[in-house]
Amino acid sequence: MNENSYAALWPRGEKTVQITPLAPRLDTLNGKTVAFLWDYLFRGDEIFPILESELSAAYPDMRFVGYEVFGSTHGTDEGQILADLSQTMAEHKVDAIISGMGC
Amino acid sequence: MLRASAAAEAAGIPSSSLVCEGFLGQGATTSVGLGLPNLPMAKVPGHVDTQTDNELRQNLISVTVREVIENLTAVPPAAVMVPEPGPRDVILEGSFEEINRFFYENDWSDGLPIVPPTRGKIEGFLDFTDLPAGHAIGKLPPDNRQATVWNVAVNGVMAGCRPQYMPVLIALAEAMADPVYGVEHSGNTPGAETLITINGPIIKDLDFNYEQGVLRDGFQANTAIGRWWRLYLRNVAGFLPHQTDKGTFGNTWRVVLAENEDVLARIGWPPLSADFGHNRGENAVVISRYTGGDVITSVFGKKPEEMLPYLADALISQTGWQLIFTVGMADGGYSPLLILSPILAETIAKAGWSKDDVRQWLFENARISAAKFEQYIGEFTNLLSGGRSLYELARLGKANKVFGESDDPGRLVPIVCEARDIQIAVSGDPGRTNAQVFSHNGILGYPTSRAIRLPGDWRNKLAAVE
Repeated sequence: MNENSYAALWPRGEKTVQITPLAPRLDTLNGKTVAFLWDYLFRGDEIFPILESELSAAYPDMRFVGYEVFGSTHGTDEGQILADLSQTMAEHKVDAIISGMGC
Repeated sequence: MLRASAAAEAAGIPSSSLVCEGFLGQGATTSVGLGLPNLPMAKVPGHVDTQTDNELRQNLISVTVREVIENLTAVPPAAVMVPEPGPRDVILEGSFEEINRFFYENDWSDGLPIVPPTRGKIEGFLDFTDLPAGHAIGKLPPDNRQATVWNVAVNGVMAGCRPQYMPVLIALAEAMADPVYGVEHSGNTPGAETLITINGPIIKDLDFNYEQGVLRDGFQANTAIGRWWRLYLRNVAGFLPHQTDKGTFGNTWRVVLAENEDVLARIGWPPLSADFGHNRGENAVVISRYTGGDVITSVFGKKPEEMLPYLADALISQTGWQLIFTVGMADGGYSPLLILSPILAETIAKAGWSKDDVRQWLFENARISAAKFEQYIGEFTNLLSGGRSLYELARLGKANKVFGESDDPGRLVPIVCEARDIQIAVSGDPGRTNAQVFSHNGILGYPTSRAIRLPGDWRNKLAAVE
């Protein structure tokens, strides 16, 4: 290597998270319980009722758990709410979640 | 929002994430950092805030509902890991220009020339810490990469830092990794930028500018360490414009603010770092994210009572939507910064006022009507939905009681919850009667501090490189 050449090293850090598989998907939404999770932003309070209405029309036996059960997923309480999420979902027998709003 | 989906998936519950059209790219890159590159998202066309009720409804029915169903019932393609170099791998041998082009093309530089991070240069930085090179500082979202002493040094070389800045850089990386700070929010749309404040004898050791033009580039310690912050966010945390960084406009990185400790000692005021538990004379950094602010020019008056109304007015005028961090998204998370030039601080102190006296006065006088406050957090922004008044929120325990003293919409309420939420620093041109206010990004970059740990034999090491 001459004096005008440089051996440059990688500037990044090792990833601490490995790829993990997604949860198994549901065979149908009929008869299932779906929870809404909300960051309390961007009209979720208007959007979730529309989704509930449309999904109920397509799958009459669906059941829904409201976002107020969990609290805001974006704010001071985010860490605790996500730490408790598994237990809260189990308590309400949740089969799937719809999380909003990314805007 | 995606972190909530990831938590559900980890618990074995399938998720669908509702994402506005313009944020699908950010969602995709953020998902990689979460270890779920195939995390399903349901598109919401356009941006919901500008749509009529009917447009929103039609968009949801025609697009989003179908994608939600698919997200929850169809198995997406398996994700594969893209191999990366090791932390100490040489990635290119070449000329200065070749290295710079390669780093730029791989998104590892900010567009300005970088100093090629060679092993020799990096080792020079490692001499200025007693920590081992592989020491793990913490993991940084959204990429969730490991912050280490080694990659702090690599990015320090690149930014144009001098090796002796290393103790400051390590303290900053530690503060960045502190969950209280909330580095994961650094890509949010307000595009706030971090201001680093430094205190202690290290200000003079490293020749920081703490007088006229303190926030101007042109002083190596202030400037290069400021640049390092943004490079580290880019390369280790993983914030990239057009990907994980969705700042609508953004800011350039800020140079470091060093306080004028000579003046502070003279007037008996504690340094900013003391508000975070550090002793006077201790080397420390404080980081906080600010969306903007303004210079308050020509503060006129011979005593505090004549000067402070203008400063209170400045705090008010630089605070709007950020009130969502006082009530709404957080309770007490808004913490604006007032920088006083030395002559202002000296004039106020000469009248016998402490820093806490100033803070208390500003808390009691920097007030707006409850109706205006409610407009900012509700009507103007919809950042707090539901249309509840401050009085109702306080009554329900969702706002500090200071906001619920009456239900008169014309009553004056503070812009912060407590006097101590107003930060005060002293720096800038010693002889000019100007101040500066920084409006704060709340819990999305909450003030966080760290002590700076010097290596053994600091004085001799410093002398050797100077």
